[in-house]
Amino acid sequence: MTSAWLYDGETARRQAVTVSKRGPFLQIVHDGERVEVVPADTLTFIEARSGELIYGRSERPGWRLGLAAPLPADIAALLPAETRYGRWIDRIGIGPAVAIGLVASAAVLLGVRALPHLLAPMIPDSWMHRYGDALVGDFGGKYCNGPGGQAALDQLARRLAPTAKGLNIRVVNIPIVNAATLPGGNIVVFKELLSESGSPDEFAGVLAHELAHVEHRDVTEAMVRETGFGLVLGSVGGDMGGQAHQMASLSYSRTAETAADRTAIDMLHRAGISPGPTADFFDRMAKTEGRLGASLGPLTYFSTHPVSKDRAAIFRKAGTRSEPALDRDSWDALVDICHNDPAQQGRAYDRRFNIIGR
Amino acid sequence: MDVDLNTNAGQDGFSFHGSWREFLPIATTNLLLTVVTLGFYRFWATTRERKYLWSRTEFLDERLEWAGTGKEMFIGFLVALAVFLPLILFLQFGIQALILRGEPVIAVVGSFTTYVALLYLIGLASFRALRYRLSRTYWRGIRGGSDDAGWTFARSYLVRAVVNILTIGLMVPWNMVGVWRDRWSKMSFGSHFVQVGDGSRVDGIMGRWLLLYLTPLLFIMIGGLLAGFMMATGQKPAGAGPTAKAMGLALAMVGIIYLLLPFIVMPYFAAFYRKVVGEMSLGGLSFSFNARTTDWLKLIFGHIGLVIITLGLGLVFIGYRNWAFFVRHMSVTGDLNTADLAQSTTPLRSDAEGLADAFDIGAI
Repeated sequence: MTSAWLYDGETARRQAVTVSKRGPFLQIVHDGERVEVVPADTLTFIEARSGELIYGRSERPGWRLGLAAPLPADIAALLPAETRYGRWIDRIGIGPAVAIGLVASAAVLLGVRALPHLLAPMIPDSWMHRYGDALVGDFGGKYCNGPGGQAALDQLARRLAPTAKGLNIRVVNIPIVNAATLPGGNIVVFKELLSESGSPDEFAGVLAHELAHVEHRDVTEAMVRETGFGLVLGSVGGDMGGQAHQMASLSYSRTAETAADRTAIDMLHRAGISPGPTADFFDRMAKTEGRLGASLGPLTYFSTHPVSKDRAAIFRKAGTRSEPALDRDSWDALVDICHNDPAQQGRAYDRRFNIIGR
Repeated sequence: MDVDLNTNAGQDGFSFHGSWREFLPIATTNLLLTVVTLGFYRFWATTRERKYLWSRTEFLDERLEWAGTGKEMFIGFLVALAVFLPLILFLQFGIQALILRGEPVIAVVGSFTTYVALLYLIGLASFRALRYRLSRTYWRGIRGGSDDAGWTFARSYLVRAVVNILTIGLMVPWNMVGVWRDRWSKMSFGSHFVQVGDGSRVDGIMGRWLLLYLTPLLFIMIGGLLAGFMMATGQKPAGAGPTAKAMGLALAMVGIIYLLLPFIVMPYFAAFYRKVVGEMSLGGLSFSFNARTTDWLKLIFGHIGLVIITLGLGLVFIGYRNWAFFVRHMSVTGDLNTADLAQSTTPLRSDAEGLADAFDIGAI
């Protein structure tokens, strides 16, 4: 018989009890008379304090029995073992648990890195087209349609990517110097990119880069990756706000950017257009955007196309003799595609607030 | 059996028996397991930390016990994820799509509504976090909790937040005390309800709020005067143009404001906690909190010093230090008949503090 204390979970009154083993039961005698018999398998370990071990009962919240340590052997045999790190880890020990954790998390990290590349080709084009259409719509009526412009653009795209299907390349009446590939073969060219391009050859390089993103299915891959990171890592690791931010910025990996550049140069070569002038465009952009500084934020070309400094050099080195990408008239029609579109007149948006304004 | 406080002469009803040497192995293994599980273990880590801190906290004559589990915290987190993910996805992708489709009005209204919903959820989360913590805190086999789900509290929290914005922060103390009372008055421990104050909401704290509120304005004015004075007198150290000097002045001002910030914030928080805790009672017990501004400053600069000296490892001790600070400065007077303190009949909810966890807000 061992002395112990007990809270019955009904009131805060502390009771002095004696405890003994009776078969598979713990027999508890209250005040020397009332007897409580507890099946050993309902007992749970609560905690160890200095010189005391405390147990509970799974079906009686608040019921607590405090026994002086060390316990008599017969009673100890009835009671559950101490828990420490959590049930699973206690079962295998902390050393093996850490080892398993390391292997598992390495596998998850590798999976999150590699899976998008493997999964992206499995996502049907029709889904991406539907998603792209839902996302873009008619771009709030800002697509430009000046005479001859769209024909010139499509002609250039066909020359660069003769086998590509389901492309929808449009010029948008938003005054920023950039181009973007959106889901479902949608490429948007913001109108200032055209006026900042010194020649059709310069523009051809930028367009080829976006066409390469479509060909490589980089948008699908980036979406799978960002969603995967957000859901798998961001969520369990906490910090919902940071996760939201992460999910907002769909960006391609540096590898994807470099690969897109390589494919773009191939496209230009096959089309008989020199990649050299594109290097001039990059250099000019680096200079102006460097001068304007970070104030333009996401509106700059390099903020969404962050690639290494030798990018221009690679294009320049690939330079060849070539035919112009577009003839004079077609190029003029393309550059003025918004200016010559009566529907776009009077819709000049404020430079800094064009996306959220009006 | 009465717990007679007078027999524990020299004690104030709360004592902390933890030691950093005992806690260190818990903190380091928690950190290790959290890292190798990519954060997945953090629910179990929090549980282990609380089990330790609660078990080293003596209230009257008996230790507290934390009865929460890592599993229920994980489930609570999944519930919160299910609530938030649609809102976050809408903010990230829905708004973008609406803008691209040329529906800026719907986009603005939609994001505004979403932000209001998030604010409401923050209120709800802080209520439920407190309810969860009380319902998993046992003392002498008795736990706390609340019969309320917090919807009313969340609504009043939202209204108070809007009032704070409309009154450019002047009513913050009034509303902070209101929020504290709204929340705690719905809580109970065992068969006793928590009682909160019903007197003036701003007595004793408004002055310190104005100090906190007006000091930055004063600084801007002094800075402006100083800049004007220097320009007027045309002081120009060799080699430093007016821009460099202005930049230096601005940087110095920012540095001073950061250093001074705790000195103007802490007097307010010290007075706030002394007021709101001092108004609380439970059964025959009255509580008080006696941390003064200097105690708070020691805590804050202690945190900073510890983290710097340990190159960041000291971060695992922040929770420990906060809890020890809280327990050491709490005190209680009055009588409690333990036979009258019966078990709580409040429901044991399983949503844990997932919502609050998602917003990174504390319960107290």
